[in-house]
Amino acid sequence: MNNNEAIVVCRCEEVTYGALRFTAEEHQCTARELKLRTRAGMGFCGGRTCRIPLDRIIENVVSNISQGDTPLKYQPPIRPVTFGTVGEKND
Amino acid sequence: MRDVIVIGAGPAGLAGAIASASFGLKVTVIDEFIKPGGRLIGQLHQEPSGEWWNGIKESERLHQEAKTLSVDIRCGVSVYNLEKDDDLWNVHTSIGTLTAPYVLVATGAAEYPIPLPGWTLPGVMSIGAAQVMTNVHRVEVGKKGIIIGANILAFAILNELQLAGIHVDRIVLPEKNPLSGKAGEPEEVMKSLLNAAHLAPSPLLRMGSRFMKNGSFRKIGMKFYPKNGVKVNGTPLLLRKAAIEIIGTEQVEGVRVADTDENGNIIPGSEKIYEADFVCIAGGLYPLAELVAVSGCPFQYIPELGGHVPHHSEMMETPLEGLFVAGNITGIESGKIAMAQGTTAGYAIAKHAGKDGAAIDKQLQEAVQNVRSVREQAAIQFNPEIDSGRRKMSELWESLYSKNTRENSQIKIG
Repeated sequence: MNNNEAIVVCRCEEVTYGALRFTAEEHQCTARELKLRTRAGMGFCGGRTCRIPLDRIIENVVSNISQGDTPLKYQPPIRPVTFGTVGEKND
Repeated sequence: MRDVIVIGAGPAGLAGAIASASFGLKVTVIDEFIKPGGRLIGQLHQEPSGEWWNGIKESERLHQEAKTLSVDIRCGVSVYNLEKDDDLWNVHTSIGTLTAPYVLVATGAAEYPIPLPGWTLPGVMSIGAAQVMTNVHRVEVGKKGIIIGANILAFAILNELQLAGIHVDRIVLPEKNPLSGKAGEPEEVMKSLLNAAHLAPSPLLRMGSRFMKNGSFRKIGMKFYPKNGVKVNGTPLLLRKAAIEIIGTEQVEGVRVADTDENGNIIPGSEKIYEADFVCIAGGLYPLAELVAVSGCPFQYIPELGGHVPHHSEMMETPLEGLFVAGNITGIESGKIAMAQGTTAGYAIAKHAGKDGAAIDKQLQEAVQNVRSVREQAAIQFNPEIDSGRRKMSELWESLYSKNTRENSQIKIG
């Protein structure tokens, strides 16, 4: 199991399984809070890769919580874009 | 002036574009990939009837039909935001902001991984990535592979890898832990595979399927599950072996595997290394609904549909005026269902846009009925409880919106 502590769950921000479990156990929090505390899911891919594993960690650690409660939020831009693209004038 | 923007040129999006355009609407389709077809272009399998399902041909047929109806298809374009501004939707893309009164979001599904030690090594990929490399890019993923995770998607793609002459050495389960969930429990895996036994990955699964549907027989079955596995078209399926670690220094060199008991618990001292130069992790699929989420549409968590799905009616409307959804974004099912849903959405958009009364009503009703019958005839289901999930959503819709919807459509059409 010690080996598993070092698994990188969020590859963009390099957050390990051990760090996520520790945070979830200490704060008994929602997936959204776990994200804000560790930066897991806040990297380049926008959490597309680790969203489900994060939900599973919370479900496993925090009792009386399901994936339906306080899900991770989505925010624009949902794809990496340059400032130039976002700042362009319409038409 | 454009009437409809379709996001996603897969089976749902193209079918939706075709249905809308057939009623004279002006449609633009956007897709992130370099060519249309979405996940269809990775699919190749034989139906229980013996007929071949060739996704590339299907996508070419849809593409041609859309072009004939003057649908404007733009590939290699990413959408990064979706929001409404008075009567028009703004679709913010990498080539600028496009606007239309109607938007169909058909962005499909995404894969989720099962993280394990070594999964970030070069040579480890999702099972879907192996499919894209093989069938879309025609790149050999490796000489000898191991699949971690036994599910319907893994079997479908295993078959495609075999057809391409790529050697998949064995299929093992992930280690049972919170990250793998049910995918690490041999009995749960067996239960989910039985629903696809008629896909006949192996004669033993097929023969044993009725008998194994009984819980206590299944327990006995798992207890005596052959140590060397059951062969699926020549590849051993090892339900009593779990991947502990993917090993390698610069790239994948193998997988450390341990024997497990019938409940998936590791048997100490049973570890062994199997050599491989590529590893596919088959986690599963979830609806990729980011754009609908940023648009402000409400969601419901329905595990049978694969996770969080946007509220939608059987006519593929969302509670937001002018916003429609179709395909895997509404629940994980096959490409054929996605097409049927796309057609429904396309007609529903034509109806909302005020196209001729009687004809459109009839076609829309037939399209809704067609989604149900395609589902009934489906050879494989990603989730055996799909019907219950669909029912939950339609009951939710009835209770929250049905009166509103009727009034709105009357005002629009009147």
